[in-house]
Amino acid sequence: MYSILDTVISWLLFLFGISIPFYLILGAIGIAGFREITTYEKYDTFYYRLNASVKIMLSIIIVLIATFSIWWIGAIITFGLLASYKSLKNGWRKMYLAGFLILSIIVGTVWGYAPYEPLSIVSMALKTPVSKFTTVWTWPPYFSILGYEHHLTLQSIYYSLQISFRFTAAVVASLLLVMTNTPAQIIKTLSKFKIPDPIIFSLVVAMKTVPAVFDSFDTSIKISMMRGYGGNKPRFLRPFVVLAAAIGSIVPTMVHLLRGAKDIGISADTRAFRAYPSRTYYIMTPFKREDYIFSGVLVMMVVMTVIAIMVGFGRAIPYLT
Amino acid sequence: MSFNGIKADISVPGMIPWEIVVAYFLIALGFVIFYSKKSGGLKGFKTVDFVYIGIGAAFTVVWEFFVGPLLDKIVPPGLTAFIGFGFFGRIVVLFVVAGLVRKPGVGMLSLAIFDILGDIFHYGFSGEPVFVFYEALTYGLFIDLAITVRRGNLFGDLRAGSKASAGKGGRMNPSLAAGITGAIIGFTWAFPDPFFYSAFFGPFLYGSIVNWQKILISFYEAIPGNIIFGIIAGLIALRVSRVLVQ
Repeated sequence: MYSILDTVISWLLFLFGISIPFYLILGAIGIAGFREITTYEKYDTFYYRLNASVKIMLSIIIVLIATFSIWWIGAIITFGLLASYKSLKNGWRKMYLAGFLILSIIVGTVWGYAPYEPLSIVSMALKTPVSKFTTVWTWPPYFSILGYEHHLTLQSIYYSLQISFRFTAAVVASLLLVMTNTPAQIIKTLSKFKIPDPIIFSLVVAMKTVPAVFDSFDTSIKISMMRGYGGNKPRFLRPFVVLAAAIGSIVPTMVHLLRGAKDIGISADTRAFRAYPSRTYYIMTPFKREDYIFSGVLVMMVVMTVIAIMVGFGRAIPYLT
Repeated sequence: MSFNGIKADISVPGMIPWEIVVAYFLIALGFVIFYSKKSGGLKGFKTVDFVYIGIGAAFTVVWEFFVGPLLDKIVPPGLTAFIGFGFFGRIVVLFVVAGLVRKPGVGMLSLAIFDILGDIFHYGFSGEPVFVFYEALTYGLFIDLAITVRRGNLFGDLRAGSKASAGKGGRMNPSLAAGITGAIIGFTWAFPDPFFYSAFFGPFLYGSIVNWQKILISFYEAIPGNIIFGIIAGLIALRVSRVLVQ
C-alpha cells in the first residue's frame, strides 16, 4: 500500500525538479546576469593573458575527459574550474552566476534523465544487471503516465550525473573562454583552419551580438513591466511573468538587432572589406610563458585521466540521446 | 582514444549503412558546388547579408542554450516529445534570416556559423567538424533548396509593387504562400535528427545504441510541431522582412 506521505514526497520531488532550474535561472541569474557571464571585460590576471587557442584546447580536452571517465571526475573538473573563476574580474560575482547556471543544468539534467531512462538501457550502459541495482525511491504507480520508471535507482542517478557533468564541464570552459578573450582573439585562432573571411566576419559579428541579445531582451522585458505587464500578480509568480514577457519580446528584439545590421554592413564596406583579396588579414598573437605552463597542465590532466581509466574509473558510457 | 572525440564506430547494430550517408552527403555537396559555380557562390552576398547571418546565429545560440531549455521545463512531461522550444526557436530565427537574405547558401552558412558559435559558448569543440557538415548539409541545405525552388522569393515577393500585383493574375496571397513554404521546410526539418543523428552520427561519434522504435516515434512526434512552427515562423519571417527590406 502506498502511503499519503510517500505520495506527497513524490509530488514534491517532481515539482522540485521542474521548478528549481526555472527559479535559479530567472530568479538568481536573470537575463542581465547572462550578459555578464558572456561578455569580455578588460583585466589582467593569468586567464586573461592566456592565448585563446589554449582555452579552446582546454574545452576540447575536458569534454573528452568528462566523456571517457567516471562521473565524479567530470564533477571535480567542473567545480575546480568554477573555483578558478575567482581570479577573474569581479570573480565572486561570476562564480555565483556561473555556479547557479551549473546547478540548474545539473538538477535539470538529472531530473530529465534519471526517472525516465528505462532500466534495461541503464543496465546496458553501466554493464551491470538490473537485479543488482539499488532502489532509492519508489514512485506511485500512476507516475508511469509521466513516463517515469516505477523505481528510481542509484544507477539511473549515476547515469544522469554522467550526462550532466559532460555538459557542465563544457559550459564552464566555454564561458571562461568568452569572458577572458575578445571575439577577435577567439576567431583569429579559427582562421588557422582556412575558414573563408566572410564566415569569420559573420562569426565575429555573432560573438559580439550574443551579449547584446541579452541586453536588448532585458530592456524589452523591463519596458513591458514598466507598462504594467503582470503588475497585479503575486511575487512568487514573478519568474513566470518575466518568461511571458520574454516571449512577447522576441520579435521586437529581433527587429531591433537586425535593424542595426545595415549600419554594421555599411561601416565594414566603407573600410573596403572584401574589396580585394589581400585587404583583410589577421595578426596572430604569439605563444607566451603562461600558454606553455597551461599547456603543461592540460597534458598532466590527460595523463592523470588515462591513469584513472586504467585503474578502473573509466566509464565510456554510450550516450543514448 | 580517438580523434577529437569521434569514435568512428560504423558497426553498431541497426545503424544506417555508412555508404548511404556518405552518398547523401556527396550528392548534397556536389549539388552545392555545382550550384555555387553557376550562381557565383558567396560573391553574390553583400556585406550586410553576412551581418544578418551573424546576428541570426547569435540569436539562435541565446535561444537554444539559455531560453529554450527554460521554456521546455514548463511543458507538461507527456508533451515534451512534441514540443521542443529550443528547436522551434531555431526554426523561427533561421527563417527570418533566410527571408532577409534570400540567396541560396544562406541556410548552410547560417547553420555552420551557429554550430561553431554553439561550440564556443556551450559544447566545446568535441566532435567537430562532423556537426558543422551534418547540420549545414541537412537543415541548411533544405532552406537553400527552398530558396532555389522559389527563385529567391522565399517567404513572399518583397520588391516594390509586389503587394499590389499579388491580388491580380491568380497569384497566391503572400501570407498563405509564406505559411505553406514554412510548413514544407518545417516538415523536412523533422527528418535529419532521427534518421541522420540517432541512426548514424550518434553511434558514429559516441557509440550510442540504435533503437529503431525510438527513432520512428521521435520522427512521427516531431512532424506536427515542426509543421505548426514552420507556419508561424514563415509568417514571422514575412512580417520582419517586410519591415526591414525597404
